[in-house]
Amino acid sequence: MLEISNLRVTHGPIEAVHGIDISVPAGTCVALLGANGAGKTSTLSAITGTAKSTGTIRLEGEDISALPVEARVKRGIALSPEGRRVFYNLSVRENLVMGAAIRKDKAAIAEEVDHWFTRFPILGERRDQPAGTLSGGEQQMLAIARALMSRPRILLLDEPSLGLAPQIVERIFEMIRELRSQGVTILLVEQNATAAIGLSDHVYVLNNGLVSSQGRAADYGNGAELMDQITGVHG
Amino acid sequence: MDYAIQQILNALSFGAEYALIALGLAIVFSIMGLVNFAHGEVIAFGGYSMVIIGTVLTGNPFILMGAVLIACVLVSVLLERVAFRTVRKADLTTGLLTAFGVSIILQNAFLLLGSPRPIPATQFIFLDRTVLVGSIQVSSLQIYETVATALAIVALMIFLRRSTLGLAMRAAALDFEMVRLCGLRANRVIATAFAVSGLLAGLACIFIMARRGAVSPHMGFDPVLTAFVACVIGGFGSLPGAVLGGFLLGAVEVGVLVLLPQSYGSLAHAAVFALVALILVWRPDGILSPAKEKGDKI
Amino acid sequence: MNPSQRRGLLGSALLSLLVLLIVGAYYLWGETWQARVLYATFVNLLVVIGLQVFTGNANLTNFSHAAFMGIAAYAAAICVTPVAMKAISLPDAPWGLNAFELGPWTSALVALGITGGLGLLTGVFVARLTGVGVTIVSIAILVIVHSIFLHRTDIFKGNQALFGIPKVLDLPQITALVIIAIFAARWFRESRFGLQLRACADDEIGARAMGVNVFRTRLIAWVLGTLFFAVAGIAYAFFLGTISARPFYFNFVFLTVAMLILGGLRSVSGAVFGTLLISIGLETIRWLETGPQIAGLKLPQMLGLSGLMLGVVIVAVMALLPSGLMGNLEIEDLLRRRKRAETPEPR
Repeated sequence: MLEISNLRVTHGPIEAVHGIDISVPAGTCVALLGANGAGKTSTLSAITGTAKSTGTIRLEGEDISALPVEARVKRGIALSPEGRRVFYNLSVRENLVMGAAIRKDKAAIAEEVDHWFTRFPILGERRDQPAGTLSGGEQQMLAIARALMSRPRILLLDEPSLGLAPQIVERIFEMIRELRSQGVTILLVEQNATAAIGLSDHVYVLNNGLVSSQGRAADYGNGAELMDQITGVHG
Repeated sequence: MDYAIQQILNALSFGAEYALIALGLAIVFSIMGLVNFAHGEVIAFGGYSMVIIGTVLTGNPFILMGAVLIACVLVSVLLERVAFRTVRKADLTTGLLTAFGVSIILQNAFLLLGSPRPIPATQFIFLDRTVLVGSIQVSSLQIYETVATALAIVALMIFLRRSTLGLAMRAAALDFEMVRLCGLRANRVIATAFAVSGLLAGLACIFIMARRGAVSPHMGFDPVLTAFVACVIGGFGSLPGAVLGGFLLGAVEVGVLVLLPQSYGSLAHAAVFALVALILVWRPDGILSPAKEKGDKI
Repeated sequence: MNPSQRRGLLGSALLSLLVLLIVGAYYLWGETWQARVLYATFVNLLVVIGLQVFTGNANLTNFSHAAFMGIAAYAAAICVTPVAMKAISLPDAPWGLNAFELGPWTSALVALGITGGLGLLTGVFVARLTGVGVTIVSIAILVIVHSIFLHRTDIFKGNQALFGIPKVLDLPQITALVIIAIFAARWFRESRFGLQLRACADDEIGARAMGVNVFRTRLIAWVLGTLFFAVAGIAYAFFLGTISARPFYFNFVFLTVAMLILGGLRSVSGAVFGTLLISIGLETIRWLETGPQIAGLKLPQMLGLSGLMLGVVIVAVMALLPSGLMGNLEIEDLLRRRKRAETPEPR
């Protein structure tokens, strides 16, 4: 589905990612793990087109690395960004409609919005309230739902657990697990290595802008070792 | 009593004009952080188009109204394309100075190609008649103006709530990159903002022309300066704030004219600006400023 | 004196030399009418250097300079004009304004005092604001002052001319003023306050964290700037003999702001170069505007051409050269670069 080769990402004069290869096969969940500043978010920004990069990014064989942000979304890339970035001043329903901005099928969109409201009743209850009034966890669900409203081929999730209470994190991961079982292709960026490994088929570990190790998720055990490596905490 | 109603209607129609122009400024500002001082020259351009089309093609006022609206939309979108796109990512001051530069260019182009003296264009004057409502004499133009502004605001609200582009414009005020990540082209959203802003300018142009019956190169500058103040009072970038600020200014201006002796009439402008300076010192972000996001990672 | 101020002396001396060269050229080859043009250019130069002090260092756009210049011009004019003349030009003036006269020096000091006082008063408000708020309040000051000029015709004559002001200054004196202004602005730029202001412009929170009193530094720069505008206003009134409200409004504001941003608002040298370049350009265009004959061809009269070009300069500079011709550089930096470029690098 998504093939990245020799990707270098720059922010102004600074190069954050120094040439990495990542492959996300269709229907799988791939985790991109690493410490703060390892280049995870930069990699996602390069895939969505919001950061400058060199190298090739192929989506189902088509090179999309020269396309602008919007065109990549139309080709099937959707991002649930770090920090959620729901539109605070828009209602919950309007946020979901914005997610489907590239689609024309009004009826199907309305149906899907309703689907999310039954799937997450808390969002349904607050459908006409500004999204800014939601709690962090609810905003995260909304951000993921918004990303899915464009019916993407691949879903990019950037730190969905960041800053959330443990029970809420569990619910978010539950949601991701469910998506995976429905066959959604996912590239998951996380610092919570243990949880991410449990969800994924394949794991890449980023370190200072390079892939320091990769392999089948099962090979990383419960991820405790990796967690130590990423966080620097030795338990 | 009659006097009071006349003055209220006065305030409403003044306020309506300011609100229309202020909305045009606020829409563009909310999306790309540009204080578009060239908005006044969009209005003046509408006036000049009316003169040209009125003499060359047809004097039919209703066709002319349509032409004014179209001309304002076109020139507004064109200005974005040729002048403001290059400074889209620049800071506020750069944008502000660019807008002033564009405004000067257009004013002097009108001067160069037209005339420094007002050119008459009286096709819309018929809108301004004295009518009797009950026993009160009022100006029909003031009623049209108030009603048309109210309708325009309602239409704008529907557009901003119901259409995808409208939603995108509201969302873009908060997080433009996220709007692009939803698959909407930045150029399209911004062009729409300028088109809407131009449409509102066109509407204002029709009423200004109905009142003045003539165009001059600088006719747009003062109304936009006042509308700018309205935006500041309401909180820059806030659309309800722009409307509120516009009507508030209309009320203040009429209030100054009514309450102060006649000889102070020329100070109405000064009073309005003193008000805005005080409000800014009291609340630097305006009365109805949109909630600010704190730049935290979480 | 710190090392950058010492280097500033060199730069100021170079700029002064440039100014003196221009004046010298006028005395050698110029025609009499050009004295007026040169004088006007130097008045503009005083204003633009004054703008550099606040707008340039703090990077906050100020549009009120024309108002302060006008206040000083009127104050000085009303003080210095002889009573006999004021009986004709200001017959209805209240508070005995037409019943006294002062010497030129005292008049200038009174005008400086009034303008500086108003600068301090407005500065207390302005220095609290940030970003576009400063610009808006400065526009408000401009509009309010202009409305008062137009409203109180008994004192200011509005758009009519207030005439009969004795001619006190001429080219040599304003040349001296310009040179003093260049040294003062450069000295301020390199001083502790100037450095702090520039630091705030780049990162206000960072500067605050380093212990910079943002309010105080901004206030000092604002008041200092108004004093420059006051000197320019006084010099204007003391040369022309008549003043009216019209020149102290938006057109003049745009003209001087264009001069500042063309040169690059962060540097005093930029202010000087921008002013000279635009002045030369405008004189050429004004000549074209009158519809001159070139090689037997009568060009049409083109009113508005100068304004058009001014707008084009502003838009082009903002789009293509946002930090102006000089950017952060001063004149002596240019010379040094040249020197460095001339010495061949060892390979």
